[in-house]
Amino acid sequence: MGNFGQLMDGFAVALTAHHLMIMVMGVLLGLVVGVLPGLGAPNGVSLLLPLTFTMDPISAIILLTSMYWGALFGGSTTSILFNIPGEPSSVATTFDGYPLAKQGQAARALTLAFTSAGIGALTGVLVITLLSGWVANFALRFGAAEYFAVYFMAFASFIGMSGGSPFKTLVSMMLGFAAATVGIDTISGEARLTFEFDELIGGISFLIAVIGLFGLGELLLTMEEGLKFEGVKAKLDIRVIARTVAEVPRYWATLIRSALIGCWMGITPGGPTAASFMSYALGRRFSRRGRFFGKGEPEGIVAPETADHSAGSCALLPMLALGIPGSATAAVMMGGLMIWGLSPGPMLFTSQPDFVWGLIASMYMGNIIAVVLVLATVPLFAFILRAPFTVVGPLITVVCVIGAYTVANHMFDVWLALGFGIVGYVFKKLDYPLAPFVLAMVLGDKAEDSFRQAMLTSDGSPAIFFSNGLVATMMGLGLLLLCLPVISALIKGGRGPKDGTAAAPEGRSA
Amino acid sequence: MDISRSTMDIAAACVTAAVGAVVCYGATLNGFAWGPSGPEPGYFPFYVGCLIILGSAGTIVQTLLRRNAAGHTAGHADADSFLDGERLRTIVAFFLPIVAMVAVSAWLGLYIGMGLYIFYALRVAAGFRTLSSLLAALAVVAVNFVIFEKLFMVPLLKGPILEAFGIY
Amino acid sequence: MPKHALTALALCLGLAAPSVALAEWKPNRPVEFVAAAGPGGGTDTFARVVQSALSKNELLTTPIIVSNKAGGSGAETFIYAKTNKSDPYKLYFGTQDAYVLPLANKLSYSLKDLTPIAAMVFDPFILWVNPKTSGIEDVKGFIAKAKEAPGQLKLGGAKAKEADETLMTLIEYSTGVDLTYIPYKSGSEAAIQVAGGHITANVNNPSESVEQWKAGVQKPLCVFENERLADTTVIADGMSWHDVPTCKEAGIAVDSFAQPRTIWAAADLPPEALAYYTDLFTKAAAAPEFKSYQERGAQIPRLLTGDAFKDFIKKHEASYAEIYKRNGWLRAEQ
Repeated sequence: MGNFGQLMDGFAVALTAHHLMIMVMGVLLGLVVGVLPGLGAPNGVSLLLPLTFTMDPISAIILLTSMYWGALFGGSTTSILFNIPGEPSSVATTFDGYPLAKQGQAARALTLAFTSAGIGALTGVLVITLLSGWVANFALRFGAAEYFAVYFMAFASFIGMSGGSPFKTLVSMMLGFAAATVGIDTISGEARLTFEFDELIGGISFLIAVIGLFGLGELLLTMEEGLKFEGVKAKLDIRVIARTVAEVPRYWATLIRSALIGCWMGITPGGPTAASFMSYALGRRFSRRGRFFGKGEPEGIVAPETADHSAGSCALLPMLALGIPGSATAAVMMGGLMIWGLSPGPMLFTSQPDFVWGLIASMYMGNIIAVVLVLATVPLFAFILRAPFTVVGPLITVVCVIGAYTVANHMFDVWLALGFGIVGYVFKKLDYPLAPFVLAMVLGDKAEDSFRQAMLTSDGSPAIFFSNGLVATMMGLGLLLLCLPVISALIKGGRGPKDGTAAAPEGRSA
Repeated sequence: MDISRSTMDIAAACVTAAVGAVVCYGATLNGFAWGPSGPEPGYFPFYVGCLIILGSAGTIVQTLLRRNAAGHTAGHADADSFLDGERLRTIVAFFLPIVAMVAVSAWLGLYIGMGLYIFYALRVAAGFRTLSSLLAALAVVAVNFVIFEKLFMVPLLKGPILEAFGIY
Repeated sequence: MPKHALTALALCLGLAAPSVALAEWKPNRPVEFVAAAGPGGGTDTFARVVQSALSKNELLTTPIIVSNKAGGSGAETFIYAKTNKSDPYKLYFGTQDAYVLPLANKLSYSLKDLTPIAAMVFDPFILWVNPKTSGIEDVKGFIAKAKEAPGQLKLGGAKAKEADETLMTLIEYSTGVDLTYIPYKSGSEAAIQVAGGHITANVNNPSESVEQWKAGVQKPLCVFENERLADTTVIADGMSWHDVPTCKEAGIAVDSFAQPRTIWAAADLPPEALAYYTDLFTKAAAAPEFKSYQERGAQIPRLLTGDAFKDFIKKHEASYAEIYKRNGWLRAEQ
């Protein structure tokens, strides 16, 4: 087993005191940027990039990837505590993480998230170790039609699941598509839905929408409910952490399912955000406790977190082997590689084995360090929640405003976030589901681009979506997922009241 | 002043329908036919806009039907309140200072905006003593300054006053 | 007489003062580099390489902050420049996009809102295929294949109505073939699509496809330059960049189509700051970090500043305008 031997060599490269120190530094810095919305992992990595110019490539990439792990963990923290996703991929964590924290179990929610995230990440790294050679060739099989099929699967798994009014779900999802359309169209190069406003030509950032809809919207709701987070006066008990870690293996089915989804979406172009949504949706459908999702169900935290992190790790593989970044952060790191004089591509594994395997080895170490460090922060974060809302509220507001500004250094974005805040407040009170909006906004333009690229390739024939085994299988699975709610409704038909619709992820307004 | 849930449902649906109409109009500027080699740039946005209008109309009809049904059975259809006067005041009292902070920030920079806002929120809204509010506001500004300007080198908007003091 | 003396003195001072100031201006606070591309994009890498060259060699000692404004194909960057008139602490990094973008789109900025500082290097364009999946080995085969089935040969590139698609229309125009252009988000994405056999060909900067070439899933057919590239280091198949024929000699009569890597400031940049930056980037171009960046990308070292750069912009913009006119891409008002 060649890979294993090379991995051991990699450990020899990565396991030095100097590198371990770099990992700790990177993880801590990553935690800070992950916690601050707007300053996500991509920003963090690009801010550190200048520091790495004087380092050797292996130390540099260890610093950047450690920061990446830290930021991924930090992103979940604010999702759970304040309903503000620090990273796009941690939006799905808010669905159950925030309700659980609201029930006074913030420490448990955080520990669940971090532990399952760590398991997910290590699974991802394991996949990279075992499949590195194969994945590069597999990823080459993805043309525009296959890209579209991946996005289609993500949508299909999610569409059937949101409860509540189908009209409101439709409106929410379509508004997400519309928001994703704003800006310059990749295929035609034309400006769309900008109405000649300069501010809109760059498009509407997904982070702005999330800061407004989730962060500010939730603040308004909390304010209205009477100036405090209900029941967050949790007893600070360190033992909760240990007990929760021991609880995690109980969700083995969800862990395995989510890790598989995550690895799949990380290797294919779906990415961590799509992975976490899809995993949440499928968890809700296939888990025995699925109907409790959205009300603070532990599995509802485990599912998206595991998938998010396994996808995040696996996404580094296409970057290294093909030079195609699977996420925005990977794109920045790729820029770094080129500045250090390394070219990502199929030859990197043979021409720079020390670098590649050192990096992979450091991914094991970095994630373990990240889990330990982040678990140590749980009491600190749980403590923050005990402060009165009249103090915490304005602080969160400031964080949201700065976050909105730092996304692109535009004051206009801050106004936009305030607008989204009102929309989020009204939508939540009227039981509009927000998840379809977010999913459509993240994947909408990518799905449209790949659809139209596929159409151009096939001269307008939709047969391209069934032209080979790979794409046909994915489209078939997608269609199956799409029809599943209908089929299961038919099978259940007349067997009493439908119990699946009651627990929409957002069906928790006052 | 009470706003009933059904009124708000209809109002929100009207707004989303209007957004849908704007999207449809915007899409027509790009051409929305299905050309020989796939859809034109406005094709998807146009139907997305149509679906927004359709969904909004559905919500309006559903709400009206429910209101009528409730009216027949219970007599008072608007029992389900969206927002009453007191809650509205709470919300506005919370939201307006945020708007003010953003307006001040756009003019004098984010640091001054956030400092004034924190001071206001702690002194007036939360009722802390002037000195502690002031110190807290300064602390927030200082922490943010160190994190953004020094640690991560992300320059936030400064505005004329800070520039006059030589802080860029 | 004293009057004259005064005048003379004033004249002397007037003449001397600017030159003193010219020598003295130096940044005393952080300088922001705004890249008109997303992280990892070509312009982003360019800006960061310049950053590393400047800070490693201590050519610029104040901190340098690189930020990205990629929105609207980079138009966001130049619109931002417009709002920061005469600010010497913000520099904008791009390609020909600075003056080409306003040709096709209605944008609120024009070339007048920018001060050109330098074009530091030029990226050549290369026509690539996957020899295994397409069976094409040279330009002749490419043209034959394209003529066989008009509109069936798919050629990929980055974005729509920009350099890559423009180049495709030039190929079509000069050889009389009919190709179909497929836009992707980036040049490397198009390269992978060619490597995977999903489309037939792509046009690209050398650095975006060199790894695929080494792996044998892409092959350079010709380079869109008047002379062959200089680098004779063997890369793959026993070939170096120098062994790639120019498109002209291989049968596609397209003139040099290199992409400049440009640096701008906002309009009304103080002349002393312009002088400082011109000097600074001339030094940066000679730094080892920048040299190795040039080599890796098989770029054409050609530094343009001052009037030479201005002349180049004028000519380049005119040639793009002409091509755009022929393609019917010019925006409505022109």
